[in-house]
Amino acid sequence: MAEKYLDCLGEACPVPLVKTQNAIKDMAVGDVLVVGIDHTCAMKNVPDWARGQGYNVEIEEVGDGEWEVVIEKTC
Amino acid sequence: MEKRIEDYDVVVIGGGAGGMTAALYAGRARLKTLLMEKSLIGGLATYTSEIENYPGFPEGIDGTELMKLFDKQFRKFGVNVKLTDCKGVTRLDDGRWNVSTFRTDYHAKAVVLATGGRNRLTGAPGEEKYLDKGISFCATCDAARYTGKKVLIIGSGDAAIEEGLFLTRFCSEVWVSVVHDEGHVDANEVAREKAFNCDKMHFIWNTSVDSFEGGDLLNRVNLKNLKTGEIIPVDVDGCFLFIGYLPNTKLFEGLVDLDSRGYIVTNVDMETNQPGIFAAGDVRAKTLRQVSTAVGDGAVAGYMAERYIGDLETIHSDILSKDKVLVYYYNASEDNDRAVLTKLESYAAQHSVDIKPVDIYKSDKVMRILGGEHLAVSLYKSGKKIATVSVNDSFDLSRIEANL
Repeated sequence: MAEKYLDCLGEACPVPLVKTQNAIKDMAVGDVLVVGIDHTCAMKNVPDWARGQGYNVEIEEVGDGEWEVVIEKTC
Repeated sequence: MEKRIEDYDVVVIGGGAGGMTAALYAGRARLKTLLMEKSLIGGLATYTSEIENYPGFPEGIDGTELMKLFDKQFRKFGVNVKLTDCKGVTRLDDGRWNVSTFRTDYHAKAVVLATGGRNRLTGAPGEEKYLDKGISFCATCDAARYTGKKVLIIGSGDAAIEEGLFLTRFCSEVWVSVVHDEGHVDANEVAREKAFNCDKMHFIWNTSVDSFEGGDLLNRVNLKNLKTGEIIPVDVDGCFLFIGYLPNTKLFEGLVDLDSRGYIVTNVDMETNQPGIFAAGDVRAKTLRQVSTAVGDGAVAGYMAERYIGDLETIHSDILSKDKVLVYYYNASEDNDRAVLTKLESYAAQHSVDIKPVDIYKSDKVMRILGGEHLAVSLYKSGKKIATVSVNDSFDLSRIEANL
């Protein structure tokens, strides 16, 4: 059960989503990807995509206008 | 991944108007409060572009804007927010509740279920695009917008026909698409009678939606005749879907009482059948689902959660944490009950045991949480109920005395 951090701070859509998709591809079921974002649109499209894949998603507000999207690859 | 455990006083599940208000009240009462939302804060109200019947905004306000104000306000009171899915609620051995997410188990003294509901959709092409851009779900909310215009209603149940009749007061024409044969609607007799006699209401039988069309706004609904397959284009200014509303309660089946349609049943104090679990907003079995009613529910639920936690604290400090205590459930406004209390007090002094009188005049919550009865005396030792006798007819405490 590895946990990996993906830094997308300062990146605008759709870069965080594309990076997330690529990062998850190489991960095993049960692994967790934490995506750091500060672009509000990524706060919607990254979780939406992950939920659509059936993954577990949690968003944590780590600072003002800064979030961590925690994604568990479940399948 | 190891699951974390976090302790809270109150966990609110659902970040719509009801949930945010419950969290506001709990947070303002200085309870450690968590609000959990599966996607974005704001709930169903964010799908409404203009809310004109929420008091305090005489010019009307955009649903998303209003929810942003709610959001700002409840966070002021130190409420924590978790944007994640709730996976389930289960009872812990110590009477608290475990609200679990995929990473964390939240242990809470009280839980407010405010998961709302969603309108059933037709699934026809174009639908997504015109939600709130011509497709509507609430006549009370949107009728004024269609004054002098032509609207189409999908469905023939009570909501469809009654809301349709309401719309006839505003609209020039109200058309109704019904899946059944001519003359058959699902609505109640009274509504049906009125609808059939209403000049402004017209029915299109044996049809369902084939697709929604328009530019920026919806301007045509193509209906399909279910028998002939014929496509019937209907030019409209708006379309109302009344094909059902689904409460988000799948997760709570078997946990709390639901009505036949899946809504959570509560009393007027928003209490479910489980002690410490409350419900608020659209998820609750009730008649009118609006931001204004969700706010009322949320306020009551947040306040009752606070009261419940207060009761729990009393129970713990005055009863469960004592080596030996007699608990007496009585109504302080009754002469007889007070006379028994006097007798009990001298009895307790003689036998050097503490006594905790529980007055049920204003509230019987403590009694209900402990499973006690009016005019009963129970002996508790180190948090365990040892013996109970009724002092309703006679004052015989011999069964308690044997255990003292």
